[in-house]
Amino acid sequence: MSSSSMPPPPPGGPLTAKDVQAVMPSAVDAGKSVTVAGFKVTTRKLPILNATEIEEMTEKLGIAPPEMIFGNNVVAIEKVGSGEETPWKIEFHALGALDLVDKTGSDMLKVAYSAAWQKQRERMHEGIKEVVKPFDWTYSTNYKGTLSPGAKQFEATQEQIPLDKLRRPDPILFFDDVMLYEDELADNGMSILSVKVRVMPARLLLLARFYMRLDDVVFRIRDTRVFVEFAEGTVIREYQEREDSYENVKKNFPPYREDVPAIMRDANQMTEYLPVRSTVTEKLVL
Amino acid sequence: MPGLPVDLDACIERLYKRELLAEPVIEAICAKTKELLMRESNVVHILSPVTVVGDIHGQFYDLLEIFRIGGFCPDTNYLFLGDYVDRGLFSVETISLLVCLKLRYPNRVHLIRGNHESRGVTQSYGFYTECVRKYGSAGVWHHFTDMFDFLTLSVVINNDIFCVHGGLSPSIHSIDQIKIIDRFREIPHEGPMADLVWSDPDADRDEFALSPRGAGYTFGAQVVKKFLEINDFSHILRAHQLCQEGYQVLYEDRLSTVWSAPNYCYRCGNLASVLEVDDLGARFFNVFDQAPENAENRIDQQPTEKAQVEYFL
Repeated sequence: MSSSSMPPPPPGGPLTAKDVQAVMPSAVDAGKSVTVAGFKVTTRKLPILNATEIEEMTEKLGIAPPEMIFGNNVVAIEKVGSGEETPWKIEFHALGALDLVDKTGSDMLKVAYSAAWQKQRERMHEGIKEVVKPFDWTYSTNYKGTLSPGAKQFEATQEQIPLDKLRRPDPILFFDDVMLYEDELADNGMSILSVKVRVMPARLLLLARFYMRLDDVVFRIRDTRVFVEFAEGTVIREYQEREDSYENVKKNFPPYREDVPAIMRDANQMTEYLPVRSTVTEKLVL
Repeated sequence: MPGLPVDLDACIERLYKRELLAEPVIEAICAKTKELLMRESNVVHILSPVTVVGDIHGQFYDLLEIFRIGGFCPDTNYLFLGDYVDRGLFSVETISLLVCLKLRYPNRVHLIRGNHESRGVTQSYGFYTECVRKYGSAGVWHHFTDMFDFLTLSVVINNDIFCVHGGLSPSIHSIDQIKIIDRFREIPHEGPMADLVWSDPDADRDEFALSPRGAGYTFGAQVVKKFLEINDFSHILRAHQLCQEGYQVLYEDRLSTVWSAPNYCYRCGNLASVLEVDDLGARFFNVFDQAPENAENRIDQQPTEKAQVEYFL
């Protein structure tokens, strides 16, 4: 049960002004937030980083950030009003996600025509051996969010996110869709990480979805879902990887579809073409 | 324009209003444009004053904003550095207008090829889909992409400023080596033609380096210096890279990036610029924000207030 000092509202009961305090864009962070039953959800969307900010981030990460880097964007879920000095908080931001990108280049993917390109290059310019610091330039991440320092940790669970509850047409009190980064992989596909969140009267769902398509090589989706049932104070986090080779996926596209290029740009549609490779579910109670 | 069975001024008039041209008109215009472009060298020499425009990516209203800010054709001379299509919502309208302007004022409008002026890339990044959606078939896409094969690769202003979409190539020391490229083809994956539309500067380096992607180069400070010395130029002007400020100047003012798609993809929140080279050859970045029509014609894909509420799972 909740350790909150504020009693949670009865599930499904009428909302009072106290339950819902929506704050529209504040001048300070151009963000917005909503607080429902002691859980505060905040989103902030700002322009891509400028040259100075990109330099700072490059220094912190040790790799060049993606082409479109929304380094000041954030989605946060926070437990408030519990009287604790440092409230439990989970945040999603580009810096956290990019810090998990492989920076050693040990498992580097190469563009489809790399072999041919290298061969041609060796013939012409044997002198150029220097590779710009190798790293996973597809920006693949297994990011599950950043917990505040000292925050209660998740533990493994058999429990699943209750999809039936999420399929109900409950009113959505707060919704946002926040980009963290995007890269066109130099026209060899796309890599994109964005976070959606919706808050209903009794629960919320957050989905951080990483989608990567490397043309003629691979498709990859990595989803982190955070589900909160307010009345119980339970937080379930599910991390799921989907992946398949370009060849396999293309075989499964219906031959009559003319909009295949559009489907391949849409992570949501691509989920049905990509098999689940692994799922990890964790839980904690606040 | 002799031999062209359409009234170009009427076409331009319509396109300024964002009206589409009929497919047979596009076909005729592209055929005529090919004839015109075929006669251009791989290195076109022009004189200032000229306003240089970077990536537009189908952001039609922002192109109109550029004309409002920089002056309409033919009062202002324009050099476009490529990437006219893909990503934005109005690639067809954008490239239709630019091609008509090129045909109408061939010595006052110059179009360089960008990496998106290619069959392969436009199939992945939106132009193909847009053509099929707006015309019901891929015919228009074929006309345009066939014409792209004829676009020039570089322009030199006042025999002093070298303009290209991407950057330099380890195969090219002198611009004479650009002149001998067989450019009338799809952009290849490798070789000097690919490098010109592809490569990026890397300010932390001196020489060429391989991209970690396994194809493509970055070029450093010494490469730029040497290229300028050999060719007796003072500056390299290129596009190809998004920058939040709308432009970036590197290598002690030896290279500039100009980016002309504000609020790129209707969500990046970045500024844009055009670079004005005056009659004496002095450079001035004219920085601008996104056109007001972007908001009116829907679109802020990074909406701050009214996000499309969605029952995602």
